[in-house]
Amino acid sequence: MSRQLVATFCHEVNSAIRNEDALKIRSILVLEPPFANPIYYELIEELRNEYPADDDGSEDRLEEVIKAAVTETGEGQDEEGRPVQSWHHMVVFLAGWLTFIRDVDTSQLLKAYQAMSDVQSKGNTALQHPIKGILVLPTLIGYAQIFARLAVALDRQPELAQHVIAASEGKEGESLAEKAANVVRQGFLTCLSDRNTVPGGIKDGRPDGKKIGVYKMANVCLKILFQSNKLDNCSMIFKNIDAASPPLHFYPAGDRVTYLYYLGRYHFISNNFYQAQMVLQQAYTDTPTHENFMKQRRLILLYLLVANLILGRFPSERVYSRPEAMFFREIFQPITQAIQKGNLEAFQRMMNLDLSWEYAAKLCRWKVFYQIGNCCEILVYRSLYRRVFLLAGKQPGPMDRAPPSLDLNAVVVAAAYLETRASASQAKTHSNGWSFSNQGLPTPPSYVDPDFEGMQGVAPYFHQFDIQEIEGLCASLILEGLISGYISPKLKKLAILGTKKAGSPVKAGFPNLWQVLSTKKREQAGGDGVEGWVKTQQAGGGKVVRLASARPAGS
Amino acid sequence: MSGAAQGSAATTKAVVDDKSKNGEPAVEKKPAAQLEEDDEFEDFPAEGTQALANQNWTEEDTQIPGGNTHLWEESWDDDDTSDEFAVQLREELKKLGQTK
Repeated sequence: MSRQLVATFCHEVNSAIRNEDALKIRSILVLEPPFANPIYYELIEELRNEYPADDDGSEDRLEEVIKAAVTETGEGQDEEGRPVQSWHHMVVFLAGWLTFIRDVDTSQLLKAYQAMSDVQSKGNTALQHPIKGILVLPTLIGYAQIFARLAVALDRQPELAQHVIAASEGKEGESLAEKAANVVRQGFLTCLSDRNTVPGGIKDGRPDGKKIGVYKMANVCLKILFQSNKLDNCSMIFKNIDAASPPLHFYPAGDRVTYLYYLGRYHFISNNFYQAQMVLQQAYTDTPTHENFMKQRRLILLYLLVANLILGRFPSERVYSRPEAMFFREIFQPITQAIQKGNLEAFQRMMNLDLSWEYAAKLCRWKVFYQIGNCCEILVYRSLYRRVFLLAGKQPGPMDRAPPSLDLNAVVVAAAYLETRASASQAKTHSNGWSFSNQGLPTPPSYVDPDFEGMQGVAPYFHQFDIQEIEGLCASLILEGLISGYISPKLKKLAILGTKKAGSPVKAGFPNLWQVLSTKKREQAGGDGVEGWVKTQQAGGGKVVRLASARPAGS
Repeated sequence: MSGAAQGSAATTKAVVDDKSKNGEPAVEKKPAAQLEEDDEFEDFPAEGTQALANQNWTEEDTQIPGGNTHLWEESWDDDDTSDEFAVQLREELKKLGQTK
């Protein structure tokens, strides 16, 4: 067979470069079999015959042919007569693409991954050309998405890749997914640091030059890192964005929403719930409501809902009635009810670490179970103190000078009672999170570390509330601003302050949770700024990102 | 990576097909089956000609009925001392002489 087809493809690519048609280049350099156009199979056939994989010289010969045919990769001039350096890396990239389609076997995931990594890296280098690099950007974004899928698929079958991970040079335990994220990140950094743009990187209301690819590339990296559970490694991407990206709102809605979803989840996992809810609220508000996007809306809403829950804001009827909130009511209403009533028993049952609650495993899979268990418990306690204050608090008469107060011993009684009930084995929790039985009280919760189970002389630990613990908890709640008052350590009483101003003792003693928590978080963060969310144009048109100082995602 | 062309086609389709448009969702399946869902955040559809910047969703596309306000309850403190939970708690406190 003649070399006709390689030449034809080269000719096509050459015209596309000359016409500055990046989308045409993407449409030619398809990567993933099966190919819709049979000509690709003829091309592969030709490659196998003329440039066989087992011939070491094949790739060099291909490069020579490409270099001669794709003349646009040579040195030249731009429209204004300024010299444009040669684009040798495009030649290497094209040869890489040809050898990739020649050799790819989709049944061999690991081999395909390695070949993909190679062609992606070559594409990254071609992207770096200051003038022409942008012409491979759409191609490279498409490749990155395929590469991400492959990396995640492999990450879920670690047995396939064990020896490769073991052999990785010096970077202990770096997974294939992390390696893939690092490769894609190079392309992301090239887009971010493109200096061939107008100052600020925004031209006519649109990102200029390679900056258009910033969030698409970032989203691919984030997708890989999230799907392979490397959430900690995302912070470098957000730092890079903070340092050099044009404002997010100039980007297409799909890029924005996807990016905000990952950013919100990152803040969520970092316990920055206030930032998480701001980011996710924006993502939720910006996502179209039609059913094609239901899955995205549901995931955004899920983390938005939990972030709000932890900050003392509950979903309204409007949220629960949304189609994307299907079954959220069944899952979250028992939790909000327990918080609302101070029902420690129901809360502890639902958040039991043995995952015995019917939705516990689901919450675990969503990676919100421990956050709810840890962060909402304090809200339950706050409501319990409030509830006991309503039932047993001392509210002085009009002539009385003493402030309203609560005997903390009453809280000990209530907490101990509820905790003991929570430990009742085999007891079922009603859908409303509360079940009473008239049977005698079960024993208090006991604990033996599994390591010591069955050993002689090891007595189980029984937790029981005492006045010290209840006093300590109360002090924490006061310190956090969730209760407004002071403790008399001598009398073991909580005294409430500011009744006159607030209108009633209970309002004074137990200020609105969301108000307290959101104000505090905002103050801690120094305002409504969020790391990773660029809202305004940066001075000087963005800084230069120094690749040398960029840390790989896995390190 | 445009989404506009696909997006608008999808909207039209959704309007025609969607049984759940007015109020209640049409799905009444078992919770467990419904809860088995993937947690992967899918890419937004982005095929088409204007590949890099064409997901121009309008405000109309993203509005939920009644608007995006009042999604969250900020005041939910419960002062009811006559519900079952409160009654049981009061009983317990009474037993130990802790009620007022």
